[in-house]
Amino acid sequence: MHIKYESQLREPLVYGEKNFHQVTEDILRPIEVKPSRLWYIGFFIAVTLLLFGVFSLYREVTYGIGQWNLNKTIGWGWDITNFVWWVGIGHAGTLISAVLLLFRQGWRTGVNRAAEAMTIFAVMCAGQFPIFHMGRVWLAFFIMPYPNSRGPLWVNFNSPLLWDVFAISTYFTVSLLFWYSGLLPDLATVRDRAFTKLRQKLYGIAAFGWTGSTKHWQRHESLSLVLAGLSTPLVLSVHTIVSFDFATSVIPGWHTTIFPPYFVAGAIFSGFAMVQSLLIVVRKVFGLTDYITIGHIDLMNKVIVLTGSIVGIAYLTELFMGWYSQNKYEGYTFWYSRAYLFSPYGWSYWGMMTCNVLSPQIFWSRKMRRNVFVTFFMSIIVNIGMWFERFVIIVTSLYRDYLPSSWSVYYSPSIWEVGFYLGTFGLFFTCFFLFAKYFPVIAVAEIKYVLKRSGESFKPEFEKLEAEPLDKFVHDNAHAH
Amino acid sequence: MEQKKHWQSFGELNNSEAFNKEVQNEFKEELPFVEDESTLEKGESFLQTKAPRRDFLKYVGFSTAAAAVAASCEMPIKKAIPFANKPEDIVPGIAEYYATTYVQDGDVVSVLAKVRDGRPIKLEGNELSPITAGGTSARVQASVLDLYDTARLRFPSTSGKEASFEAIDKAIAAELNGAAVIVTSSITSPSTKQVIAQFLAKHAGSKHITYDAVSHSAMLLANQASYGKTIIPTYHFEKAKAIVSLSADFLGTWLSPVEFARQYAVGKKLDEKNPAMSRHIHFETVASMTGSNADEKYLCRPSELPMIAAALLSAVNGGEITGITDAKLKAGIQAAAKTLTAHKGAALVVSGSNNVNEQIIVNAINNAVGANGSTINFAETLNYRQGIDSNFASFVEEMNAGKVNAVLFYGANPVYTWPAADKVKSGLAKVKTTISFNAKLDETTALCKYSIPAPHFLESWGDAEPVSGHISFIQPTISPLFKTRAFEDSLLKWSGDATDYTTYLKNYWSAKLGGETAWNKTLQAGVFIPADVNNIGASINSSAVATAVAAVTANKPNNKIELALYQKVGIGAGQGASNPWLQELPDPVTRATWDNYIIVSPSMARTLLNIDLNNAGQADAYEVKPPKQVVKLTVDGKSIELPVLIIPGTHPQTVGIAVGYGRAEAVGKSVIGTGKNAYPLASIENGLVQFASSNVTLTATGETYPVALTQTHFRYDTAQGNRTEVMKEITLAEYIKHPTEILEEREAELKPYGGLENYEAQGTIYPVYARPGIKWGMSVDLNSCNGCGACVVACNAENNVAVVGKPEVLRGHEMHWLRIDKYFSGDMDNPKVVFQPLMCQHCDNAPCENVCPVAATNHSSEGLNQMTYNRCIGTRYCANNCPFKVRRFNWADYSGADSFPDNQRDVLNDVVLDMNDDLTRMVLNPDVTVRSRGVIEKCSFCVQRLQAAKLDAKKESRPMVDSDVKVACQQSCPTNAINFGNANDKHSAITKVRVENPNRQFYVLEQLHVLPNVTYLAKVRNSEEEEHAEAAHDTKAAHDTKAEHKTEAAH
Repeated sequence: MHIKYESQLREPLVYGEKNFHQVTEDILRPIEVKPSRLWYIGFFIAVTLLLFGVFSLYREVTYGIGQWNLNKTIGWGWDITNFVWWVGIGHAGTLISAVLLLFRQGWRTGVNRAAEAMTIFAVMCAGQFPIFHMGRVWLAFFIMPYPNSRGPLWVNFNSPLLWDVFAISTYFTVSLLFWYSGLLPDLATVRDRAFTKLRQKLYGIAAFGWTGSTKHWQRHESLSLVLAGLSTPLVLSVHTIVSFDFATSVIPGWHTTIFPPYFVAGAIFSGFAMVQSLLIVVRKVFGLTDYITIGHIDLMNKVIVLTGSIVGIAYLTELFMGWYSQNKYEGYTFWYSRAYLFSPYGWSYWGMMTCNVLSPQIFWSRKMRRNVFVTFFMSIIVNIGMWFERFVIIVTSLYRDYLPSSWSVYYSPSIWEVGFYLGTFGLFFTCFFLFAKYFPVIAVAEIKYVLKRSGESFKPEFEKLEAEPLDKFVHDNAHAH
Repeated sequence: MEQKKHWQSFGELNNSEAFNKEVQNEFKEELPFVEDESTLEKGESFLQTKAPRRDFLKYVGFSTAAAAVAASCEMPIKKAIPFANKPEDIVPGIAEYYATTYVQDGDVVSVLAKVRDGRPIKLEGNELSPITAGGTSARVQASVLDLYDTARLRFPSTSGKEASFEAIDKAIAAELNGAAVIVTSSITSPSTKQVIAQFLAKHAGSKHITYDAVSHSAMLLANQASYGKTIIPTYHFEKAKAIVSLSADFLGTWLSPVEFARQYAVGKKLDEKNPAMSRHIHFETVASMTGSNADEKYLCRPSELPMIAAALLSAVNGGEITGITDAKLKAGIQAAAKTLTAHKGAALVVSGSNNVNEQIIVNAINNAVGANGSTINFAETLNYRQGIDSNFASFVEEMNAGKVNAVLFYGANPVYTWPAADKVKSGLAKVKTTISFNAKLDETTALCKYSIPAPHFLESWGDAEPVSGHISFIQPTISPLFKTRAFEDSLLKWSGDATDYTTYLKNYWSAKLGGETAWNKTLQAGVFIPADVNNIGASINSSAVATAVAAVTANKPNNKIELALYQKVGIGAGQGASNPWLQELPDPVTRATWDNYIIVSPSMARTLLNIDLNNAGQADAYEVKPPKQVVKLTVDGKSIELPVLIIPGTHPQTVGIAVGYGRAEAVGKSVIGTGKNAYPLASIENGLVQFASSNVTLTATGETYPVALTQTHFRYDTAQGNRTEVMKEITLAEYIKHPTEILEEREAELKPYGGLENYEAQGTIYPVYARPGIKWGMSVDLNSCNGCGACVVACNAENNVAVVGKPEVLRGHEMHWLRIDKYFSGDMDNPKVVFQPLMCQHCDNAPCENVCPVAATNHSSEGLNQMTYNRCIGTRYCANNCPFKVRRFNWADYSGADSFPDNQRDVLNDVVLDMNDDLTRMVLNPDVTVRSRGVIEKCSFCVQRLQAAKLDAKKESRPMVDSDVKVACQQSCPTNAINFGNANDKHSAITKVRVENPNRQFYVLEQLHVLPNVTYLAKVRNSEEEEHAEAAHDTKAAHDTKAEHKTEAAH
């Protein structure tokens, strides 16, 4: 009997004949060469969007929230829709880095770096909305509980908006630490390969004096585990608390106990979709198809079809409860304002249903899961659907609530409202382009870690090992200690 | 001993040249007001420039003093502040109240003007007046803003150029040598009438023509025919058990709505133990505020009204109903006749028509049902409207014939309001001397040679006699802001009388009242109340009736679409159009602001606009999109293009347009781009203006025009259930049969949460706390509320609620703290209507409070939900979580209170900028913070008044009582629909209302456990129809349930 070192079921995590040097060369190349024309074009577009966003905010801050089309009935519209959307996107990163680490899912190594970066940028984008949706943003520091001379006057710990402040800032901090601690060995690699003094110096500072000593590795591993342990509950808590913004209110369509799990599932759903959209482009542009493989895409599509179906069940449960509760206000919101296709916002509900529940079902087919084009298309569809979901929850609940006298006229965003959203795209992609240019988009050290088990070039060694009979192996290793 | 020398620098020690130069220059940095340093001559210091520091200070001082100058300096003291109290009582920051009178084109309401530091800022009803008893109207409340209107004429002028009074007097003395014609709106002032008489006597051949834009000529003429007196008797709705109105909008715009609303409410107040109410049957052409309040309403064409009157006369006399084919209408006439005859001696019929025959028939009906001497009193007359159109019509002919030398306009604005305005214009061109005393450059003034603007009533002396014998006095509360002169002063001068009007008035009344002391005392009270008179009738001349009946029945109606022109509660005949508060006041019937439009019925909408309100999709599309279809209306060759609003309760073949819009731009920013003038669509028949027309064609133009509605949906039943927690209404018959029906309904709603008894404790998982001390509470009686909107404008004035302008209202950004919701129920072609004033409910378990991250909104120990503007960061979470949607957000810098410079231009329209003018801002209440951009605001229960009341009681070391405080909406209400006070006080009015009305009381959305502090008393309607329907319902219950489901599904 012989041991099989190579999994007979799982496909390899890295393709091609790679050795450690080759891995370093492949992944760090984009950092060390001049960016392509495509990069410049992309970066230029991103910065343009960012500047348009800044101008949109200038309009809003100077002239008032009246620059947006919100009204007496609809106090939140695109602003909070976009906030929840971005926070949702920011979920995949932590899930991939923390939960999958704890569950020892080796495939995370290919995608975790980019996913974590995406998380951080998405949370940065998300944070803009609750800040700038304030009528008097220059007083935003009022939401910080700090000792002050106004009484002291404290914040209202009953308010879900305050919980948001804590939840999101904690999540951002932990995600940032996790991401950065993972970067340290790779930054040291970049430093060691530096061809200019400046480069060496900057990456040297960034690497915190990493030498790759065993002690460093040991601490690094421990820190990763601790941070993974810390962020795992955060994956659940952040979107749970975001959902409390709605769930703790009295508005029909918001006042729902199903929100926490439903929001978390939705967040992971949209987060993975965003990871797909980004990585499908990155692996092609940077020639990293051997590291971010079809297998990765396949696995992530499985998560998408799972979470998409969970979200679908949540939608149906809500609808059922809208009828079963026999509450006329809830019934109206769910069955008329949302599910009735010909009501003013019926299109958004059915858009959401189509994008989030129906279309991901094609991923039950293995062929579809492994099709890059289908995956890319679907990832965009899912993110549109998830945007619809937040829009449906916020706007269709608010625009016709309890008193028919207050029912609103049709709400659609103003140019500055759209501009703010586009601006966060600009911010996101500006950050992402800079990240792709200056940081390794794949965790080099971690790839090397799985390479010995998965790489083609190590297979001959496997064969030698596998040729060895099991009895001899047991005998040789029985008294190792 | 040598003096020790202290020095601060070597320069000082050595007395160097550089140091001395430095000392000379006090400001080392450049001062901003010297634009260019190069303008300084060499060696010249700042103190020697043309604009040194002193000048700078002067500029600063000038600008701050500018407002004060207008109020105090320069003028003789006797005109500045008319002290009704001893001067030593005046404390800066403490408001003084002066009794005066709101007078506008014949409308008279006794008021108290609240004056803060020399500025009148708010009008309150004068509770001493037996006519209005403290009630006001939206227009009264808004009139204080007219005082500070930037569009007022600021000086006298000749042919548009500024002239001095002396120069004008001289010119007129030369010109005015023949006969002159004085054209005024109805004048209720006895002294003014005497001044006019004096002038007429001096200028032989002169005459005085009273011209009312919307006149009551037919009533005056009919009374002449029926009773031999050209007067309007007083009406007593409070004594009527049966009221039939033939399209008379007596609660909104007809004669004296404030007075009638108060009277009408008496019959609508319900005593729970002894339930009885008056019954009001209304025949309606186009949905009106009064019709909305009726117990029963029947729809008819305007041309059918005289026939209905004739049929009703026949029916009350026991005869047949002839000439009416419509079955519903016939049933309505029968019901009206039945009710009227059943309440003989306590019945009243009124008609809003300007058709003499119809009014003669109405007189006959009133005579037949015993109204004369009971509900109609000929011992006193109503003087609000005295004009007879035909007098003016013949005057227009005279002008055109070149027979008029001089004409004086005061109050009247015929160039705008007369249907044949072109004739007035051409006539005026032929008159040598034209003089206008109007306060603004209105359409008529613009065509006059001389303009001598009259002061606002708050700047004037005067008197008014709205009801014969009842005098209401006008005293100035501020010295004239501009170079204005009272109309009477001019007339006195031109009649060669050297007395000024103030002295004239004082002498006039001192003589009548018996001395100066009596005059001062009466002036302080504001009103002179005569001894009570018994109601007397008048014998009717019945021969006129037969002729009238013959005349109206000869007129056969055609089947064409008809037009009814009407006045809006806020805008009136057009006087309100330049007032931003009134323009932004949602019309009670349509909930629209800033425009006029064509009102059509739902059935006409189906054929004309292809909109079926019974189709959910089409109804939604119509409701959620502000642009409405524009239709071209043509009548007798004249046409107008206006957007269309679908208003249930309008006759299927009748459309309505409000007059009063499309004013000349010079009268104010509010009129620019808002509405079109509908007066030209009226016609003149036999010299009387007819505001209805029966030959109308409508054609769709395919265009749309946005209409700023503040409410778009009017039904509280949905396919998912009837939202009875929002609104509760019941018929009187049902109530008598089952008084606890509403109470049981509430019990059923709250059953899952412990029922009514234990609801507060069991409806929550949190502990319940005792609420000792003061607990403010409000109760709104939906039976008394008629939707007039006086409270809304009162709230604007009291609480500095910003005007946002049409573009912002279109976007749902209006700021009103108090709104009057309107709901329909029943048959959508002729629905029941109920009005519901809605303000912050001051919930004890307020959903807005716990969601604010910075605790900017919180609960006081007195049950108030408070807003801390300084703390608010504007997340709007509270507004989202408010189930009543009463919180308002400052979307832009509406008040100019923002620290960001220049951020109103291009964002807000001219009306808002005008409201921020230094002059207009003088109307602001200094007790209430002006909110800045980015914060939420809402009803505070007039907390400034509550604090003042508590302080007053504290100063006098006594417990606070009800009479210490009246909130602004409560005070302004003509029907006392709003009660307010300390609900923990067993003796307060609010406690009394709540204890006495357990069966009708409800909280809006009670099942949410937000525990509001505002209670409502359910609407009870004294309608018979419902009973019939009920009976029919019982017999074919099964069949009906099915049908009901169908209709529900349709909505």
